[in-house]
Amino acid sequence: FGSTRGMWPGRAGALPAAIGALCRALPPGSRPAPETFRLAKFNRPEAVRAGEAGTDPPDGYCTQIRFVKSVLRYHGYGRPEFYQLPSDGSQGSRELLLAFSWLLNRINLLEQLLTANRVKIGDEASVCTVSRFFCLSSPSHQLDVDVRYLQWLNGRLRFKWRSLHVDRQEQCKLLHKIHSYTSGCHMDQTIGHFSVTETDLIRQPDSYKQLLQLLESETSRLEAFLEWKQLEPVYWHWMVKSRERTLPDEREFCAAVRTITEAVKLKLSDLKYHCAHKKNGMHGSYRLVFKDKRSEPITNVNATEVISKLQMEEATLKRELKRLQEECRHKLDEIAEGLVGVICIPPIKR
Amino acid sequence: AGRARRLVSILSQALEDCAEQKKKLEYNLTLCRALLGDWKVQTPESPKPENSPKGDQESEPSPKELEDLELLNRALEKALRVRKSTPRNPLEALGAAEGKKAAEKKPATSAVRTQQAPLSKESVPKTIKVTSVCKKAASSKKLSAYMLKAPYRTDPVKAPTSQSSRAPKVAGKSSTKGAALQQARKTVLTASVSQQEFCAAAEPSGSPRSPLQQSSSSFGGSASGENSVAVILQGVDPENDCPGSLAKSPVTQSHTAGDIPMGSITARTFTLQEKRSLLKLPLPYRKAYSRNSRLWEKCHLCQSSSATAAARSRFLERMQATFCSSAPAFSPAEIEEEMIVLRDAHSLLSQYMEAETTGHPTWGREYECLLTLEGLQAAASQCLHKLQLLRAAAESQMVVHPADCVHSVEPSAADCAPLRGRRCGDTGVLATPLLFYSSFQELRDMAALKLQVVMLHQQIDIQKVLIAELLPILESWLPRDDSPSHLYRAVYTQLCEGGERFPVLMNDELPD
Repeated sequence: FGSTRGMWPGRAGALPAAIGALCRALPPGSRPAPETFRLAKFNRPEAVRAGEAGTDPPDGYCTQIRFVKSVLRYHGYGRPEFYQLPSDGSQGSRELLLAFSWLLNRINLLEQLLTANRVKIGDEASVCTVSRFFCLSSPSHQLDVDVRYLQWLNGRLRFKWRSLHVDRQEQCKLLHKIHSYTSGCHMDQTIGHFSVTETDLIRQPDSYKQLLQLLESETSRLEAFLEWKQLEPVYWHWMVKSRERTLPDEREFCAAVRTITEAVKLKLSDLKYHCAHKKNGMHGSYRLVFKDKRSEPITNVNATEVISKLQMEEATLKRELKRLQEECRHKLDEIAEGLVGVICIPPIKR
Repeated sequence: AGRARRLVSILSQALEDCAEQKKKLEYNLTLCRALLGDWKVQTPESPKPENSPKGDQESEPSPKELEDLELLNRALEKALRVRKSTPRNPLEALGAAEGKKAAEKKPATSAVRTQQAPLSKESVPKTIKVTSVCKKAASSKKLSAYMLKAPYRTDPVKAPTSQSSRAPKVAGKSSTKGAALQQARKTVLTASVSQQEFCAAAEPSGSPRSPLQQSSSSFGGSASGENSVAVILQGVDPENDCPGSLAKSPVTQSHTAGDIPMGSITARTFTLQEKRSLLKLPLPYRKAYSRNSRLWEKCHLCQSSSATAAARSRFLERMQATFCSSAPAFSPAEIEEEMIVLRDAHSLLSQYMEAETTGHPTWGREYECLLTLEGLQAAASQCLHKLQLLRAAAESQMVVHPADCVHSVEPSAADCAPLRGRRCGDTGVLATPLLFYSSFQELRDMAALKLQVVMLHQQIDIQKVLIAELLPILESWLPRDDSPSHLYRAVYTQLCEGGERFPVLMNDELPD
């Protein structure tokens, strides 16, 4: 890419348009200028700082770089040159560009960001019950803990769950009231009634100026996204051309190894289905809508379905918990036999 | 006492999660309660009434309003008939339930009588009084305040609903036809309340509230005919002056229907229940909303062209070729996802196993059981194998990037969620999903179940850690014989009864 070629090699106009759309589709706080991309291509240092805007930066520039590295590592990015970049941001804009593009490609970064930053106007109901794993790494210190402390913590937890339940039930009551009082008011016929936010918007319109702005900015991001989808191939062609021209032989060998690993992974992924793993069809956040009549839309979901799914899951989980507890009971009975002079009488089964 | 490495941190984490959820919930609850309570609205008072109606008022009556007008006319006729037949002081009947308020209204009544015909504004305060009476929230102080306020407030209401409510607005005092129509329209609304008053008046000693539900045709009350008729003829903006006069149902909540101070600011309050279907979202929001939802729809339907897909995969391949060859087989993201799958698979396998442990009366059944178990075993060993691979990958991750594998370091920025941690299903990433519920019971059940399921997940995870950490303690105590009964009891409770019930330990010594 000689400088004689002008600023943007390739199809005139299409590439800057693509990059422009890409930038506009990113969240406002994390938006690099389109020019940054060109600079990054030529590995200009000033592009590093600007180029990092694609991911949400915590405080400090060093932390920023480290954060970005950890994100990419998490998703399996394997370019050693990238991880060797210094944390002070003095160089490596090109690597950053590659990394950013890879992430964009691999995990549909744009779509993820759009969905995650979506302006919340409705009453959110999350259907997904996949719970995260607790932090399974051992803490650095080992405590000598009194078992009564554990009992106490456990008791507190149970209490908190109960109080959460009570609050949730009350919330349902209030939500339902608001939904039914405002039915027929919403301009969107599918929804029909207001959400809490919308009702409050009527009550205190001045508090919600920002909401309107957010909504509008989201709309323009969506437009940019649509533009980007049209022009995407241009961008990827441009990126591909920026790849190194020579692949050393050992790299090819590694590539072969890599392919084999991939094939094995693919084979094993069949196992996943062979195991008949449960695929939770419903994920993410939904907007809660009160509607007397049933409706069967495709992406939308009825509470009855959710309820029956949850009931099945609840039954399964209860069975499993019971099973675990039974196992423990057996084990503890064995231990009890070893206790001298003591008989253990289990509590009365309800 | 014992060593519990992970237990404390897990329990603390669970507690934190709960506390966080509760906080969010409480915030939402406060907002909901505020929305269902009184909406206080300040209306500025102007000393002189305006002459021009508001610009965005409707200039033509809608069919519904015509219908209401018709009802109003009929009501008027009936009231006139009623009035002719009973000479009783209408206010007495009205005020009977209100007690001493009636006395204060007497002077107003006479004033009203003389002003029936013209659309005068001075009698507006009487309307307020009447309807306030109807609402049972009027205080005598308020009445006198109204009486003192000669000029009619015609400023547009700065209520949230005022911008685009379908209810007619305050009109000027011009006697043009349009204004007259508007005022008549307003009186329609007043009439709806007045009708209720009729009913109330009809049974002054009885329960004043229940008749309010009755329709306009049911007022057979003798009293209040005249006063209410007068009321009807006044050009009143119900919104402005009669808090909640648009209610179709009586306000049973004990809200303070405007403690109207004797000052320049008039505060009105009303509740969501009253306003109900008359609310509309402000226009800028509506526009923004429709644009926004249209675009989401478009994005959802937007498909990548094959050219794009090809270009993308070519880029990925090229990149992949430059990756470090010693990279672990699974990225941490993949490990997490696979772990969920394995966890579910395990649960499923256990279920199948349980199903097969029931009795096998016939050889056919036994054979079936055998085959099933063999299949389960194959599936299980595959899962185990996968688990080993995942473990190896995780360990190599640790080796290569040790600082990075402790999840607790992850920043919790909002943007972080898609970049790191659980991405809950890539399907329908840009969809606009709605969840419909059809009854209050459904909503409640769903919420309760959801909470229950999440809690059970947590309990199971905790149980597993408990098993891993508490049982060994007990087992290692056995050789030592110094009565670990307390410990035993505590562990038993936690492990077997979810911390809810205790076993009883008895000394097994025969008395000598």
